Amino acid sequence: MIDQYIETYKVFEIGIYKSLLETLDMMFTAMLISLIIGLLIGFMLFITGTGGIYKNKTIYFITSGIVNITRSIPFILFIIVIIPFNRLILGTGFGVNASKIPLSFIGIATFARFVEKDLLDVDKDIYETSYALGANTIQYFIYFLLREARSGLVLSFTSTTISLLSYSTVMGIIGGGGLGYLAISEGYYNFNYSLMWIIIIIMIIIVQIVQTTGNIIAKKIDKR
Amino acid sequence: MIRFENVSKDFIVNDKKTRVINHITLSIEKKEIYGLVGQTGSGKSTILRLMNGFIEPDDGDIYLMDEKLDEKTKHRLVKDTSMIFQSFNLLGNLNVIENVLLPSKIRKENKKDNIRKAQKLLSFVGLSNLEQSYIRNLSGGEKQRVAIARTLMTNPKLIFCDEPTSALDEKTSYEILKLLKDINEKFETTIVVVSHDISVIKALCNRVAIIERGKVADIISLKTKDLRPISYKEALLSD
Repeated sequence: MIDQYIETYKVFEIGIYKSLLETLDMMFTAMLISLIIGLLIGFMLFITGTGGIYKNKTIYFITSGIVNITRSIPFILFIIVIIPFNRLILGTGFGVNASKIPLSFIGIATFARFVEKDLLDVDKDIYETSYALGANTIQYFIYFLLREARSGLVLSFTSTTISLLSYSTVMGIIGGGGLGYLAISEGYYNFNYSLMWIIIIIMIIIVQIVQTTGNIIAKKIDKR
Repeated sequence: MIRFENVSKDFIVNDKKTRVINHITLSIEKKEIYGLVGQTGSGKSTILRLMNGFIEPDDGDIYLMDEKLDEKTKHRLVKDTSMIFQSFNLLGNLNVIENVLLPSKIRKENKKDNIRKAQKLLSFVGLSNLEQSYIRNLSGGEKQRVAIARTLMTNPKLIFCDEPTSALDEKTSYEILKLLKDINEKFETTIVVVSHDISVIKALCNRVAIIERGKVADIISLKTKDLRPISYKEALLSD
C-alpha cells in the first residue's frame, strides 16, 4: 500500500511541488495584506465600538457590517461575486494573482474580528495610562495596545493563516491552482485517491507546522 | 500650579445625568503636597482626572501651570505631569527598565542618555538589581516603585497619585510615602494625592481638601510629621 503512495508521489512530484508553490504564493500575499489591513480595521472596530476612545456608532456599524458580510457569504460564491473587481484591479478575473484578492478580503475580515477581540481583552486602564504618560493615539496603539495584546494577536494570526490555507483549496474555481485544486481535479475527479490522501497529509503537516510555530512564538513573547 | 474655577462634571448613570463634581473652586500651589480625601464615590478620583485633562469639565475652567486646560492644550500640558495609579498600571510584556523608559520613548528622547537616567532612577527607588525582571515577578511594593521611577523619568512638575498605597501593606506603604516625600523635597515636585486613608494624607500632605458628594466640604492645612516605619503591633495599639 505504501509502495502505491510512493509511486503516486513520484509520478505527481513536479505537480505537487508546483501546486505547493502556488498555494504558498497565494497564502503569503493574502497573509501580508490581512496582517496590515486586518490590524488597522480591528483597531478601528476597537476604538469606535462600545467603550472605545472614539466611540462612533455609525462608523462601527458600517465597518462591522462589511466585516460580517465578507465572512457570511459562502466563500466559493464570494470568489465568483468578486471576479469583476479582480478584472478592475488586475485586468483579469482568473489565475493565481486574481485568487489573492478574494483570499486577502476574507483574511482581512477574519483577522480584523480577531484583533478587535484581542484588544478588548487588554486591561481597560491602559488608555488612561498611555494618556497620563503623554502618548498620542498612534503611540497608544503601538506602544501600549500592541505590546500588551501581542501574544493573543500572534495566536489570532495563526488561526487566520490556517483559515486562509483552507480557503485557498477552492481557488481552482478561478484558475488559482494550488494543492487543494490538484487534490480535487487530479485526485478525486480522476479516482486517484492516493494522490488526494498525499495532499491531505501535506496540508495536515502545514497546519501542524503553522500552529506549533504560532504557539511557540505566542508563549515566548507573553511575559505577563 | 493648579486652579479650579467653579468646575462641575456630570456623568450618565443608568441613562440619567448625575452631577458628580459640583462647582468646585480650589487652588494648589507649587511644591505643595495636596491631599484630596473623601469617601468612596465622593468624586476625588474624578477631580484628579479633571486635573490632568483625562476628562473634561462640563462647566467651569481648569488652569494647569497657568495655562487653561482644554482639548488643544491638554496633550502638551500632560507631558509635564505624571500619574501614579492604585493598581500600578505597568505593562506586563515589558521588563522593569523598559517600563521606566516608556515615557521617554513616547517623547522620542535620546535612548542612550535615558538608559543611564532610568538606571539612576531605579537605584533611587531601590530596584537596581531588578532592571531586567518582568512585572509578574515583582511584589506590590516593587511594582509601585517601578511606577514611581517611570513617573520621574520625564522630570514632571506635577505628580498625581490615585490611592498610591491602598494595594500595599503597612510597611511597604510607609516606604512608598517616604519616597514620595523625598521626591517632593529633592525635585520640588508638586504632588496631588487622592486617598480615603487618613493616615496617608496626614503623613504626606501640607493641605487637604475634604470632598463630600462632589463638593469641597473643607480645606485644612496640616503640619506633617516625620515619617517613620511602624510595626503591626504599633499600628494596632495606636489611637
